[in-house]
Amino acid sequence: MSILRLISIPLLTLAATAGPVYWALPEGLGLARSLGIVAGWAGCGLLLASLLLMLREARLAQGLGGLERMYRWHHWAGMVAYVLLLAHPLLLAADAWPDKRLLAWQTLSPFNQGWPVWLGWLALLLLMLGLAVTFERRIPYRIWRWLHVGLGLGVLLGLLHLVMLGIEQPVWPILGLAAFFLGWRIVREDFGLAARPYLVQAARPVAEDMVEISLKPLGEAIAITPGQFVLVAFFSGPTFRGCGEFHPFTVSALGPDGEIRLGVKALGDCTRKIQSIEPGVMARVQGAFGNFLTERAGAPQLWVAGGIGITPFLAQLRAGPLTQQTLLLYLYRAEADAAFLQELQALAAHDPKLSLHAVATGQTVPDLKTLLPAAGDLAQHDCYLCGPPGMVAGLRRALNERGIAPRHIHFENFEFR
Amino acid sequence: MRRLYLVATVLFWLLVAAFWVGSRGLPPAGESVAVVTEKSFSVGELASHAIPENCWMAIRGSVYDLSAYLPEHPSRPEVILPWCGKEATEAYNTKTKGRSHKPYADDLLAQYRIGKLAPAQL
Repeated sequence: MSILRLISIPLLTLAATAGPVYWALPEGLGLARSLGIVAGWAGCGLLLASLLLMLREARLAQGLGGLERMYRWHHWAGMVAYVLLLAHPLLLAADAWPDKRLLAWQTLSPFNQGWPVWLGWLALLLLMLGLAVTFERRIPYRIWRWLHVGLGLGVLLGLLHLVMLGIEQPVWPILGLAAFFLGWRIVREDFGLAARPYLVQAARPVAEDMVEISLKPLGEAIAITPGQFVLVAFFSGPTFRGCGEFHPFTVSALGPDGEIRLGVKALGDCTRKIQSIEPGVMARVQGAFGNFLTERAGAPQLWVAGGIGITPFLAQLRAGPLTQQTLLLYLYRAEADAAFLQELQALAAHDPKLSLHAVATGQTVPDLKTLLPAAGDLAQHDCYLCGPPGMVAGLRRALNERGIAPRHIHFENFEFR
Repeated sequence: MRRLYLVATVLFWLLVAAFWVGSRGLPPAGESVAVVTEKSFSVGELASHAIPENCWMAIRGSVYDLSAYLPEHPSRPEVILPWCGKEATEAYNTKTKGRSHKPYADDLLAQYRIGKLAPAQL
């Protein structure tokens, strides 16, 4: 990753935070009150950065180092903003403590105040509830997604709290930007205006609870390379009823005329429903995102795939012969889960640079240390990992123990909550 | 991150509760300011304190030295500064928009009282 892309998000977050803080930097006030004001404006700036980082635009993601990185910073910026905004009213009240304890409580309490402070409290409570929902994994994604929007509403109310206090000059532009980012996300991405129309041409089961779907563009196709992923929403067909939600899927093949194939494993309600998809179903595709496999050096490679994690490697292999010596370690639980195994064996037989090592691991956690090549055999290798988060974490540890530097270990996380 | 959320949220409510408990059993903030000597200021004296660094206002018969408070006032400076050195009861009562200040503001204002406004001389 280039240095510019590496520092783009930290710089952006710093600018969004430092700008309002610099504008509002208090002079001649008590320490606690000054810190309270700084905490409020820093939280406000971080929330604005967090809103920008939730946009799923392919070019923006490319400039900022990838969608996964944007989401990681989106989560952290939002969380730090929340802590700062909790501190904001407490520090304002602490300014009068301990000499004027009643005044301190009156500063904090919403019961003695009017709309400007009520809006601040409402915004804080919405952030509090919205984050509680964010951490609740048992809520179905389609409900969770809209409850998560409550956080955006909290941001807007927080900014209105500032407007009601009479601080209009820098707040209106910030409020405008926040509303723009939220509207952009909802209209272009959640409602799919930015996505391109595709049609399901074929669907075939490739393993237990896994289907490969061929999609044909109905207009201009998206630009995509092997290893990248797209966000796809499937709608209804003759008998199939799709859930219409955008989910990330890695392409398993790129065909002529912009056709793409996706591997979909039943991991939740929506993806389970997709297992029974049929030709003729309309879909909307957005992307492409990610740079997994797209910036490979000429060094020998170790690819490790777990289950459905085979799809980016398969897309690369289907695109043509390899140019680097590559060992593909394919891990799956049982033969019934070994999607594309025969095709992979055929590809390995015809590509002298590809070695395939397919392993059925069973229902227990595999011993990665015994499965990976010895440290000496991995010298100078670039390692690419794709699979369940637990497996990727275990592989990273095992590779580190074999002396592989983190910059030679590449992986992507497709968890978007 | 989930742990940070839980710790921060619980700590926040504990501190809010601590502020509430700490304020119980105390007289209203306005009453806690002991006015030892009641000074009386003329309109002329009031008018001589009409700059942001030295800003007095007369509100409801009392005179307040708001110089130290002005930077903390939430509205834009141009809303409040024109009232320095003047009788500002109407502006205070309506916030120039027909909306009154809350009891909290009354308590806060009491912290800055320095005396009463002398009746105008005929």
